Amino acid sequence: MEHSFYIISWTDVFVSLALVALCLFLIRWWRIGLEKIIIIGTIRSFIQLSVMGYVLTFFFGLEHWIYMVCLIMLMILIASFEANRRLDIPIKGYFMMNVYSMSITVFIVLGTTLQFILDVEPWFYPYAMIPIAGMIIGNGLNSATLTTNRFIGELKHREDEIETLLALGASPRAAVDTSIREAIRAALIPNINGLMLVGLVQIPGVMTGQIIAGIDPLIAIRYQIMIMYMWLTTATLANVLTQAMVYRQFFTSNMQLRKELFRVNNR
Amino acid sequence: MTNHPTYQINHVAKSLGGKSILHDIDLEIFPGEFFCIVGPSGSGKTSLLRLLNGLEPFDIGEIYYKGQSIQNGDFQKLREEVGMVFQNPVVFAETVKENLLIRKQWDKSFSVSENDLLEILEMVELPQNLLTLDARSLSGGEKQRLSLARTLLNKPSVLLLDEPTANLDPRLGEQILNTMNQLRHQMNVTIIMVSHHIHQAVKHATKAAFLIEGTIAETGLISILTRPATKAAQLFLKEED
Repeated sequence: MEHSFYIISWTDVFVSLALVALCLFLIRWWRIGLEKIIIIGTIRSFIQLSVMGYVLTFFFGLEHWIYMVCLIMLMILIASFEANRRLDIPIKGYFMMNVYSMSITVFIVLGTTLQFILDVEPWFYPYAMIPIAGMIIGNGLNSATLTTNRFIGELKHREDEIETLLALGASPRAAVDTSIREAIRAALIPNINGLMLVGLVQIPGVMTGQIIAGIDPLIAIRYQIMIMYMWLTTATLANVLTQAMVYRQFFTSNMQLRKELFRVNNR
Repeated sequence: MTNHPTYQINHVAKSLGGKSILHDIDLEIFPGEFFCIVGPSGSGKTSLLRLLNGLEPFDIGEIYYKGQSIQNGDFQKLREEVGMVFQNPVVFAETVKENLLIRKQWDKSFSVSENDLLEILEMVELPQNLLTLDARSLSGGEKQRLSLARTLLNKPSVLLLDEPTANLDPRLGEQILNTMNQLRHQMNVTIIMVSHHIHQAVKHATKAAFLIEGTIAETGLISILTRPATKAAQLFLKEED
């Protein structure tokens, strides 16, 4: 059988709304009370992705690396702002911590992918650079913020343990070692489970898209494998770099635990 | 005893969330003393103790440890020298032995000989056969002794004890305080204890202070514990009886 390549029209997209209608019907029937937010989400995703399509088309047409770098920086800034909003309690400087950690993560992961795996020419080839950067930034910041919220939870839970270790002469880093480890482990386990289960239970999203678009599954799997490894490294790098900065905010310069920061929800 | 105090506390005040907890604290504690701070619950005793090994910041005043302001010093070193035993001891999800040697986690050069370990266990009356047990399975009293032993392995020159016998039966509490006193004599360890047991303080302490509503109402030799001169201290003793 020949590879087929199906073009999806705007009419087809509107037809897919029938699925959302089914979802809304069930939500209403069971009085789950999410109708409004589902309608807003449906409209927002439609508008955001449409705009993104045009923005991507515009950037794909630009042929200078400076535009790509600026776009990636803008993506990092927007994602860092969003990550800051998703914190359970405010952390001073969290926005900039994300900007630093994501810049380093993007540099390492994107650089490796473009230069050594895909060997794209020119190095800023927009069709590869922008979607991969988006994937790295989105996944990295999502994971780092989940980890930070989990770390805050660990601090609340282990306050007495941390002070006991400090009182025995431990450095702040040593005193929160278990908390950091638990938080990062919890964030990475879904990624690791993904590595274990991929191909056994489900066909992952990227691969599904490629296969529908007519790519040979044997090529699609290579992309999928690369992306899975990329996600794992992205999450690990983003978490380690962010937590290396986050924990310091919870100690004074005299190595005292700043309990007031997490004891009350002072947002 | 030398003339230089181990701790010199000058006009220290601390507030938390806009509420004053300690005000204008002045104290001098000398090497080798068993200094007991007594006062009612909520009078700021634990807070004062936590200031001494730098676990909490204070607002104004100065605390000198061996002549050096703690604000400008190395807090890690201070806490190694000034051990603290908390009222509610924390044990980690490891064996008793791993709890005792927890310092190895951040200090690779830390080592304890088997003899030292057994000696410390004997000192706090913790049977050797507990070493391999999960520390969380110990009783409240055993956890308190484990916590004390863990602090002693740091070879501190000052021990801060926050109601150390609160979770122990009277006999064992007495035994622990006797051990502390022996340690004080043998190793010239200075002991600063917070307690609301006047009888305990009278029996073991060499000096004492009444801390009432965040203020040092009176300080001096242990005779003040039975015959205080200030009204606030007299009132506290009356309420205790």
